[in-house]
Amino acid sequence: MIEIPELAAGGLAAGTLSALFLGGGLLRTRRQQARQQARQHEEIATLRSHLDVARQEVAHATRAFTAEVAHLAQQRIPAEATRAAHPHIQVPGPLHADVDGSELGAGLEDALEGLRTAIAQERKRVDAAARAGMRGATREIQAGLYRLQDVLRGLQQRYDDPELTQTLFTLDHENEQSLRRAQVAAVVCGAWVGLAREESHLVEAVTGGQARLVGYHRVRVHHHLQDGTALVSHAVEPVAIIVAELLDNALRHSSPDTDVVVNLERAHHGVTVTIDDAGVGMATDERAHAQRMVAGKDPILLSELGDPPRMGLAAIGQLTRQFDLSVDLSSPSPYGGVRAVLLVRSHLLSHIDPAERRPAASAPRSTRKADPKTDPHAEVPSRPYADDVAPALPAPRTAPDPYAAAPDPYATAPEPYATAPDPYAEAHTRPDDPAPAPAARFAPASPESAPHPAPEEDVLPRRRRRVRPDVASAPRLTPTAPATPARTPDETAAALGALQAATAAARGDVPRTSADEDRLDSSTPTPTPNASADDTHVDDTTEGNTPR
Amino acid sequence: MTGRRSGRPLVPAYLATGGVARPSRNSLERLSVLTGTDGPLPTDLPAAQLTLLETLDGGSLTVVETAALLELPVSAVRVLAAALVDQGLVVARPPIPYAAQPDTDLLKRVADGLRALKL
Repeated sequence: MIEIPELAAGGLAAGTLSALFLGGGLLRTRRQQARQQARQHEEIATLRSHLDVARQEVAHATRAFTAEVAHLAQQRIPAEATRAAHPHIQVPGPLHADVDGSELGAGLEDALEGLRTAIAQERKRVDAAARAGMRGATREIQAGLYRLQDVLRGLQQRYDDPELTQTLFTLDHENEQSLRRAQVAAVVCGAWVGLAREESHLVEAVTGGQARLVGYHRVRVHHHLQDGTALVSHAVEPVAIIVAELLDNALRHSSPDTDVVVNLERAHHGVTVTIDDAGVGMATDERAHAQRMVAGKDPILLSELGDPPRMGLAAIGQLTRQFDLSVDLSSPSPYGGVRAVLLVRSHLLSHIDPAERRPAASAPRSTRKADPKTDPHAEVPSRPYADDVAPALPAPRTAPDPYAAAPDPYATAPEPYATAPDPYAEAHTRPDDPAPAPAARFAPASPESAPHPAPEEDVLPRRRRRVRPDVASAPRLTPTAPATPARTPDETAAALGALQAATAAARGDVPRTSADEDRLDSSTPTPTPNASADDTHVDDTTEGNTPR
Repeated sequence: MTGRRSGRPLVPAYLATGGVARPSRNSLERLSVLTGTDGPLPTDLPAAQLTLLETLDGGSLTVVETAALLELPVSAVRVLAAALVDQGLVVARPPIPYAAQPDTDLLKRVADGLRALKL
C-alpha cells in the first residue's frame, strides 16, 4: 500500500525533475530564441535604415535626374536650337557640375548632338525648298525683264523724240536695276546667271555692270589694259554681276559727292578690276565676314542673309566659286573706304581685235592707246615699216611683260600675243602687205592685230580714220617717201582715175598701139619705184585731164 | 566695224549720254551732216563723245550713219553731237533738202555726154 504513494512520490519527483529539466531546456531555448529574435530585429532595423538611406538616395538621384532632364528640355535644347541660327548664343551646361563626366552627362550630350544634326538637316531642307521656290520665281521675272528690255531698246531705236527718249532711258535704267536684283537673287538661290553672252571686251563688262546701278554717274572707270582684252563668253555675265555688286556696295557706303574709282590693270595671273571708294569703310570683323562671304567656301543659307536679305556678297561668293574668279575685300582703300579687287585669271581671258569689233561707244578708252595718239608724228603711215613701226612695236609689247614672258594659257591664245617677233617683222617688211596703213595706225595700240591685216573692204569709219594723220603729219602722198608697201583706197582711186584719164588722153591723140599705151602708163611717173610718188604724179595728170 | 555684235548689248544706250535724252540744241536732224574739226581735244571728254569724234575723224557723216556705227539710238547721238557742237569740236550742217539734190537722170545724161565727148 505504501508502495503506491512512494511510487506516486517517485513518479512525481521524476516527473518534476523531468519537468524541470524540460522546463529548463525549454526556457533555454526560449531565451535563445528571444536572443535570436532580438538579433534579427536589430538586423532588420539596420537593414531598414539602410533601405531608407538607399531610398532617400534614389529619390535624390531621381530628383536630380528629373531636374537635369527638365533643364535639358527647358533650357539647353531651346538654346541649342537658337544657336543653330545665331552662333554667338551660349548653350548652358548641366545643372550639376558633377554630371558632366558621368554617364548621364554623356547621354545628355548625345541627345544635344542628335538635336544639332536634326536641326542642321532640317534647316538645309527648308532652305533648299525656299531657294527652289525663289529660283523659279526670279527666273520668270528675269526672263520677263529681258523681254521688257528688248521692247524698250526697240523703242529707243525707233523714236527719237527727246521727251519720249528721256522716259525710255529712265525706264531702261529702272529695268536694268530690277534685272540686277532678280538676277542676284537667282544666283544666290543657286541658279545660273541666266544669260549667255558672246565673248566681250572686259571694259564692256565693267561698264555694263556700272550701268545697272543708281549712282552710275559717280563711277570713274580707268582702263589701263591692252586694247582688246576680252572675257571668254561664259565669264562675261558673272564679271558684270560681280562688278555691279561691288560697285553697288561702294556707292551705297560712300557719300554722294565722292567718286568711286575703278581701275582695270594687268596682273601676272590675269587682269584685276580694283574698286576703291572713299566711304565709311568696314570694321575688322565686318571685313572678315565680307571676305568669308565673297570667298564662297562655305555653302550659303538664305536664312543667314538677314532680313531683308543682303544678297550682294552672297551672290559674289556663289559666282567666284562657280567661275574660278576671286574677290578680295581684305585691304582698306587708300581713300579710306573699302578696296575690292576682282582677279580674272588668264584662262578666263581672251582677245578681240579692237579693229574688228570695237568696245561699246560709252566704254572708256584704254590709256595705253593714248601714247601714240598724243604724238601722231611718231608714226607716219607713209614711212617704210621696217624703219618706223618695227622699233615702235616692242614698246607696247614688252611693257606688260606677262604677255611676253608668262607661260600662262593666255600667251598661247590663237592670237600670237608676241609669241615671237618674227611674224611681225615679216608682216611689216613685206612690201606688198595688203593693208599697211590701218596696221600701222593700230600697230602700237594693238600689235597683235598686225598679223591679221584688216580687210580692204573695211567700211567707212576706218577709211575716215586714215584721213587725219595724212593731213596732219605728212603732206598727202609725199613723193619723198622711198617706198610704200601698198596702196590706200585713195591712192588706188587716184591711180585708176589716172589710168582712165591717160587712156582717154591717148585716145584723143594719134592712135597708138596698146603696147604704146602700156609704155606711156609705166613711163609717166618718176623713175623711182615708189607707189606714192607714182600716185602724186598721176594725180596731177588726173587734174589736168578731167576738164576735158 | 565688221563685227556687229549679235547678242544683247552689255552697255545700255543711256550710259553714253549719262541718262540725258534732251540735246542741248534742237537743230540736229537725222540727216544733219556732222564734220569733225581739228580743234584740240579736251582731256576730260566723256568716252562716248570721244568715240563719236574718232568715228568722224576729220570726215563727215550724217547723224543717222554715226548712230549706226556707234550702235546707239539716234536720240543718244543727237545728245552727244549737240554737246560736241557746243564745244566747237564738231560742225553740224543741216541736211541737204530733197529738192536741191541733183537729179539722177540729169547726172546720168551728163555722164553719157562726157563719155560721148571722149570717144
